[in-house]
Amino acid sequence: MEDAVVLSRSGLILCAIFGLVLGGLVLGQPALANEKAEPDPAKSEYWEPIRKLMFGDREILDGKDVIRVYLATRADDASTVPVTVKAQIDQTPERYIKTIYVVVERNPSPASGAFHFTPESGRAQVETRLRFEDFSHVRAIAETNDGKLWMSSRWVKAAGGCSAPSAKNRVPAALLGKMKFKFEEETIKYDEPNLVQLMIRHPNESPLAGDFDVTQVAEFVRSVSVTYDGKVIMTAEVDFSISENPSFRFYFTPHGKGELRVEVEDTHDKRFVQSITVIEGTPLPGG
Amino acid sequence: MAVLALAGARFALADVHAAPEPIASLDLTEIAPGNYVHYGTHEERSPGNLGDNANIGFIVGNRCVAVIDTGGSAAVGRALRQALRRVTQLPVCYVVLTHVHPDHLFGATAFREDNPQFVGHTELPRALAARGKFYANALKRDLGDAAQGSEVVEPTRLVKDELVLDLGGRSVRVHAWPVAHTDNDLTVHDEQTGTLWLSDLLFVDHTPVVDGSILGFIKVLEQLREVPASHFVPGHGRTETPWPQALDAELRYLKVIVAQTRLALKARKTIQEAVDTVGYSEEANWVNFEQFHRRNVTSAYAELEWEE
Repeated sequence: MEDAVVLSRSGLILCAIFGLVLGGLVLGQPALANEKAEPDPAKSEYWEPIRKLMFGDREILDGKDVIRVYLATRADDASTVPVTVKAQIDQTPERYIKTIYVVVERNPSPASGAFHFTPESGRAQVETRLRFEDFSHVRAIAETNDGKLWMSSRWVKAAGGCSAPSAKNRVPAALLGKMKFKFEEETIKYDEPNLVQLMIRHPNESPLAGDFDVTQVAEFVRSVSVTYDGKVIMTAEVDFSISENPSFRFYFTPHGKGELRVEVEDTHDKRFVQSITVIEGTPLPGG
Repeated sequence: MAVLALAGARFALADVHAAPEPIASLDLTEIAPGNYVHYGTHEERSPGNLGDNANIGFIVGNRCVAVIDTGGSAAVGRALRQALRRVTQLPVCYVVLTHVHPDHLFGATAFREDNPQFVGHTELPRALAARGKFYANALKRDLGDAAQGSEVVEPTRLVKDELVLDLGGRSVRVHAWPVAHTDNDLTVHDEQTGTLWLSDLLFVDHTPVVDGSILGFIKVLEQLREVPASHFVPGHGRTETPWPQALDAELRYLKVIVAQTRLALKARKTIQEAVDTVGYSEEANWVNFEQFHRRNVTSAYAELEWEE
């Protein structure tokens, strides 16, 4: 069961990528990208080493019928770029997407997140917000339950001028770890996928921002785990490519009244828990 | 009012492969006695304009000079310093860094030789630490070799609330604001002439930029409205509209974004849907709208979604 190994190791994979990048920074500044036109994603020099680290020699298939990346071609705000990765196949017990990896290949830490889904998710989709250090291809690599890998990508121009990937101001300590759920619909619908947004108050510090004190451990959210009635909906390993106050929007399929519960852990080993009981006909927070 | 040093070619056209050419001369306008302003362009920065995209200037006292922002590259800073030297031989004792943005501060290196105090908001060092390297790389990307010598200068004197600078017979009040345009905004008030330097708390014609808090920005503008001023300097653009009515267009713009973003949130729209729809009624009123407006809505949404 090679796939199971990969699933449980994905946290390590993120760390390995991170290690690679720190090594790279010691050797020299990353090349400055100033392409006016979109470079060919298949010929990217950035992708090759990342691909080797994350997936070794495994074949990666053309994924546009399985997974797609949606985002504006210009990153209006380099600190907050909304990105949606969306399955193009139904999430059934027979065939489903187990994991979506999101890679911003020119970010100092390219592996932004690994999002794991189950048939209970309803749809394998996540919308989040990312930081962009530079113009970059954004890649989504989906792993289906048959162990195959599928990839598609989008090119994004970073914003210029005074837009920067770092936080705009401090998150007050008292608010750290505060979480909110927001639902797309006003009430829950049983037996079909429902969209929910999870919001987390967190600075999601980048250890690579300027002269970050290397003796300190940067505090960023590293894992998110969502269950409904005890069943796993989505788990994710993420890093500081995710914007401050991380937001994740995803589906879950309830089959009756139940508790939607989220556990978040950050790199300072702080754990934050939030839950909400959803009942058909009862209004849900949103707006 | 006098316009000084209006020389023919304002810029030597920079060849990106050659060492940066100095800016031949910098236009200065004395908007009030002793208050000299250089108005930057609304263009995106390029090797052609060398990052001369913000309003910068200085105040001259009997003893010394306070520079208020230095422009978007070392070349602009050097040109400002030369223009200053044509006005006065008094020493530069202060360089006020009004906030972290690169179009205002990369010229500061040109004043190092004057050994002034570099004055910044208490939050400025943190913001520079987080962004300085990124800004320097982006400047190189946009200006090429013309970015040469442009470096981040750390503030040596921090302002928490207010600091009065004595220029000799002239008191200049530096005020540190809570989170607004950024989390490190300063204004400078020359009491003798009633001249208020607002930097990017006031955008004229140029689309306002929210890089701190949109609600904070509105709150600060409401407070600034109560400050009496005979003359004022926006961070971008210039206007004949009197004070404080000159603040109203920007206030209206920010309030439109807040109102429409709240509606979008109420209608359970996503951040992308909000960015694609909010505030376009304001498009005709501002330049560089595409470049900055969507970003403002992104930022406003991320802030307002936490409101109860």
